[in-house]
Amino acid sequence: MKTQYAMVIDSAKCFDCKACVIACQIANGVPPGSYRNWIKDATVGDWGKVHFQPGNCMHCESPTCVQACPTGATYRDEKDGTVKVNSGLCINCGSCIPACPYGARYRHPEKKVVDKCNFCEERRSREEPPACVQVCPTQARTFGNILDPTSEITRLLKNNKTVKVVNPTTDTKPNISYISETEPMDWPVEARLPAYFQVWRNIADPLVKGLVGMTGLGVLVMLGKQLLIDDRPPASEHEKEKETHHG
Amino acid sequence: MVKMMIKRHTKVSIFMHWFNAVCWFFLLFTGIGLIRNGDLEPIGVWWPDLIRGIFAGGGNLLLAHVICGFTWIAVFIVFAIVRLRKEASFFIREIFTFSPVNDIQWIIKKGIQMTMGYKVLERLGFEPRIPEQGFYNVGQKLFAIPAILGGIVIAATGIVMYSSKFIMMDTVIVQWSILIHFVMAGVVFAGLLIHIYMASIAAGELPALISMFTGTVPGEYAEHHHKLWYDRIKE
Repeated sequence: MKTQYAMVIDSAKCFDCKACVIACQIANGVPPGSYRNWIKDATVGDWGKVHFQPGNCMHCESPTCVQACPTGATYRDEKDGTVKVNSGLCINCGSCIPACPYGARYRHPEKKVVDKCNFCEERRSREEPPACVQVCPTQARTFGNILDPTSEITRLLKNNKTVKVVNPTTDTKPNISYISETEPMDWPVEARLPAYFQVWRNIADPLVKGLVGMTGLGVLVMLGKQLLIDDRPPASEHEKEKETHHG
Repeated sequence: MVKMMIKRHTKVSIFMHWFNAVCWFFLLFTGIGLIRNGDLEPIGVWWPDLIRGIFAGGGNLLLAHVICGFTWIAVFIVFAIVRLRKEASFFIREIFTFSPVNDIQWIIKKGIQMTMGYKVLERLGFEPRIPEQGFYNVGQKLFAIPAILGGIVIAATGIVMYSSKFIMMDTVIVQWSILIHFVMAGVVFAGLLIHIYMASIAAGELPALISMFTGTVPGEYAEHHHKLWYDRIKE
């Protein structure tokens, strides 16, 4: 069966206990002060009621972080639809960090490489749900394969009106759906490619290709001339003298 | 003297040349394979995919690139220190010494001759004799300088990138290091194409290629191609 892991979050059930945040830090070795997930809040309604909205990496279908990574260390795994980081290939350029509209990425202060939610890959390999899902006392988070018609998450998506939290200018097609009326909705930022990346793509890449192409062409011209033209230097005075002497 | 073989390269020079060549190609091909992004890949996605397959993963590829890079840097530092008097200082002095009038003429005439031949050179009104050159001709110098300076820049930016694995430096420094690393490698590679053609394919250059293994050139070759050097050592 094809797999696309995703989350459905019923934010109305969240009361900001932060169990998911702490469970994630423990399960994934996220140091204090760094986070792979979060709980946003917003004041709603006339009576000033506070609404809480848990979240984490949205494992987007068109991930801007992947577009920003020069080495492919950040990639979308087509096998399970999650966005992963190959830390061995990561060169710590940090391009992916401002490229995420959700701020889901941070630089791990001990490992030095970028880190983010991977839907608890290690726990899943032991048939356990992600730590944040398991620990939530109100079961606000549901994790599963949305391509599996029998899964709980598919049932939730079918039976509820859901929304996705996106930035209007960069819709990355996230894979976290919120059961409707979630707040806040306006916090994702516009995905940003760092300046060096734009200079590389728009100026340096064509420049280097042009330079190598021109010199390559020059070599071909020289080679063609070498093969086609019998090119001998005109005899020098010294040689002419010799010739006349012999003649 | 004309019939004699003249010593042109020491054994250490020959070793450094081929060591550099092997490292350069390895680093170039692994380096291109480290770029895998639709907007940036210089020759398409097939290459990174192929070489990552060969190295069993991008992580190993990066590791191999880093190990080769640091070996290259270390050997050159040792060479520059240990062989400073024997080869390095001579090389640096030679490649940075120009005689502008002679050299500009050489570039123009040699450029025309190599691409269109002596006949065109004469038809354009040039005196067809190519100006005399020293141990290196100005073309070799104009490749050696960016190769040396580019090599230093490539090494420095590579060290910056690698040290970001251990030091929590500003990622902007790493980002621009990547770009400079890529551009300098491209610039030196462009020169390398000409260097390879001139030294191994171009007519009359076979003795130079052979000397890169044996260390010696025929006196006749030296007189014809490097007259000023030949005259200097003739005595």
